[in-house]
Amino acid sequence: MARACTLLTGLAMTIVSLTLGAMTLGISPPARAAQDAARILTYSWPSNAGPLDPQGYGANQMYAQAMLYEPLVRYRADGTIAPWLATAWQISADGKRYTFTLRDDVTFSDGTPFDAAAVKANIVAVLANRKHHDWLELVAQIDRAEVVDEHTVRLVLKHAYYPTLQELALIRPLRFASPKVLEADGHVSAPVGTGPWQLAESRRGEFDLFTRNPHYWGPKPAYEAVKVKVIGDANTRAIALQTGQIDLVQGADGQISADTFERFKASGQFKTAVSPPLATRVLTLNSKRAPTRDLAVRQAIEHAIDKDSIVAKLLYGLEPRADTLFAPSFPYADLGLAPYRYDPVEAERLLEADGWMRGADGIRHKDGQPLEIGFYFVGSDAQQKAIAEVVQAELKRVGIDVRLAGEEANSISARQKSGEFGMVFSETWGAPYDPHSYVSSMRAPSHADYQAQLGLPMKAKLDREIGEVLTSTDEDTRQALYRDILTTLHQQAVYVPISYITAISVSRPGVAGVGFGATINEIPFEQMHPATP
Amino acid sequence: MLRFIVGRLLLIPPLMLIVSVVVFLLLRLGRGDPALDYLRLSQIPPTDSAVAEAHALLGLDRPVPEQYLHWLWQSLHLDFGTSFVTGRPVLDEILHYLPATLQLGGVALLLTLFIGVPLGIWSAHHRDRIPDYLVRTLSFIGVSVPNFWLGFLLVLCFSVWLNWLPPLGRGGVAHMVMPALAISAMTTAINARLLRASMLEVAGQRHVLYARLRGVSEVQITRRHVLRNALLPIVTATGMYVGELIGGTFVIESIFGWPGVGRFAVIAIYERDFPVLQCFTLVMTLIFVLCNLLVDILYAWLDPRIRYAHVERDVETTASREGAA
Repeated sequence: MARACTLLTGLAMTIVSLTLGAMTLGISPPARAAQDAARILTYSWPSNAGPLDPQGYGANQMYAQAMLYEPLVRYRADGTIAPWLATAWQISADGKRYTFTLRDDVTFSDGTPFDAAAVKANIVAVLANRKHHDWLELVAQIDRAEVVDEHTVRLVLKHAYYPTLQELALIRPLRFASPKVLEADGHVSAPVGTGPWQLAESRRGEFDLFTRNPHYWGPKPAYEAVKVKVIGDANTRAIALQTGQIDLVQGADGQISADTFERFKASGQFKTAVSPPLATRVLTLNSKRAPTRDLAVRQAIEHAIDKDSIVAKLLYGLEPRADTLFAPSFPYADLGLAPYRYDPVEAERLLEADGWMRGADGIRHKDGQPLEIGFYFVGSDAQQKAIAEVVQAELKRVGIDVRLAGEEANSISARQKSGEFGMVFSETWGAPYDPHSYVSSMRAPSHADYQAQLGLPMKAKLDREIGEVLTSTDEDTRQALYRDILTTLHQQAVYVPISYITAISVSRPGVAGVGFGATINEIPFEQMHPATP
Repeated sequence: MLRFIVGRLLLIPPLMLIVSVVVFLLLRLGRGDPALDYLRLSQIPPTDSAVAEAHALLGLDRPVPEQYLHWLWQSLHLDFGTSFVTGRPVLDEILHYLPATLQLGGVALLLTLFIGVPLGIWSAHHRDRIPDYLVRTLSFIGVSVPNFWLGFLLVLCFSVWLNWLPPLGRGGVAHMVMPALAISAMTTAINARLLRASMLEVAGQRHVLYARLRGVSEVQITRRHVLRNALLPIVTATGMYVGELIGGTFVIESIFGWPGVGRFAVIAIYERDFPVLQCFTLVMTLIFVLCNLLVDILYAWLDPRIRYAHVERDVETTASREGAA
């Protein structure tokens, strides 16, 4: 068997040489020197930034699109709209013509001036692909864009639509790429925008490197570059932060788990922060199906769930308790609605007054029907499962039998569209979509909200009011309509608000100026700077 | 022999065809809809019209047989479609990430040989004494510990506590140590045990006894008469490890941020990236089949007693040759 020996040696030699060859080909970037930390901010994301079309979805990552491309107007954390690439705007009396005065000192990162013609070219490309942007009402409403003069541009709408400015502030699709790179189909040949950063290098599966845009019109970012490493696993990300491979973890969507965040906070070696409310985590109750079609049952559920203990024990106190569908900090949502207090006794009283009596097994019945509700959640989502189990236990105490069913995310989506649920988790869309886009979607049959509200006696009136509020041009009328819509939904107890979703941030001590963007997907890298020792 | 190889190679295309049909159907029989994943990733509300638009965009709006035939035709021209998630050609993506995986798998295979074989020899040499117990305990742990857990333990120890090795990314040798160790722990353990057992078995055979009677030194006996014979099962096992090691890269690459095809496939599974999964399965099937074939060929070459083509006729010669040995 001398052959076996020779073979194994040969095999080993081959593998060694192949491996060494591969290593020399894939020479690593030099180890991170100390002075790098002062020049380059390192962040991580589960995937590469993508092709970075300003109008593209899918592979295009929104945080990166927001670094490169800028809007005419900007959404602020307090819900107001501020000037950005447009310094001023006028709205015609009928609400159909928006005239914007543009900044005259803006150039794209390739040196091309930003002017009315550039704005028009981008909007023409969006309108040429209306089908892709079908989800956004504003795109359906824009009839055309007109160049008034070099620095004035006008949007003409088909009908009045008050959230025009809010939707112009979105990260996509209504931001602007250099006309030199913009193609007729809305794609770009290279990612060139007016934003504070430009894409310098992208290595697939490894990192994206953004450097300062030399032509930027605003204040120069303190860091020379932002390097975004591709890290998919949340535990790996935590280790990378701990060992100094990255400087910053920030985001809302499970960048790291809540208990890992707590650990970083407790260690005292990192700077941690929690953002203001960005969206709302709610349970949606189906008003069309028995037994949740009884108002008393829905109100009893509102009273029977101890949100404070869910927030403290399952959400690590990172998300404040929610009492209303939208946080009062959102536009038109500060209505002073009386919250449903945690009060199991009141819940039992409501159920008994409605004729639901406890049987021998502790479960309530009415007309021979048990008080049994199907609660569907994403089975692989540990947080949803934990909350669902607490809700099940608390409702059992007042005599409601909750049947839990953990399913795939896609089949939950299918249930939401078809209304095959008693209770289901939902999230509002967050700033800047809340409240206008979210209430608008309540009219679409393919949404859980529509299905859940279908049993309400005033559903037709609600839908009509939602239609009116979106086209109203008078601020007072709009506030009055929102008051009516949101008060009705609150009193009818279709939603059980649990908590307000927040973003978290953990940074190494060397990074200062870490803050949150006004919307979930904006990360204000340009405001961050090295800490002065 | 040549006939055997050609025969096996001819079986590959029909096998790939069957695998492709099965994978294609399995992906589409699942409850999930990739259009919903696409919309979720794009943060577009899943309205009916948005879902229809996404179906058209992803080519999912046609009947499944038509989708398959279209895909098959394109595949025969080496066009495996475009990734739903990254928007790039699938084959280009897989070929981009494959070298990193082969590199990691190659190093893991080396560790399996260079650590497993000496441990096995040492263990057999000191049968039922302390080194043997040590190796057996290590092997037991190596086989039992899940590789992802071992991966995290290594990171905790060598990156977080000791700060010796980088916890993630691809670069020099330092980046390679922990992921390769984590992937190869199991196969190394198996190799050590396998070699130990095989050496003890060979050591009990007559030719070893005769060698000892001839006065051959113990070192010579171990090297020339025991080890060489005992290595044969290691060769077979090593061929089979390729599957084990590639499977290991799935998890380990995700943990160590290794830019390989395993991590890419894991993301594709989560995001229901059908074209990537179809192409990936075929590439992996091909690698498996070729490795198995290679092992079979090597086996025949290493052990002249084995002939695939004319087994019956060889029985007599084998018997006579064994007598001679």
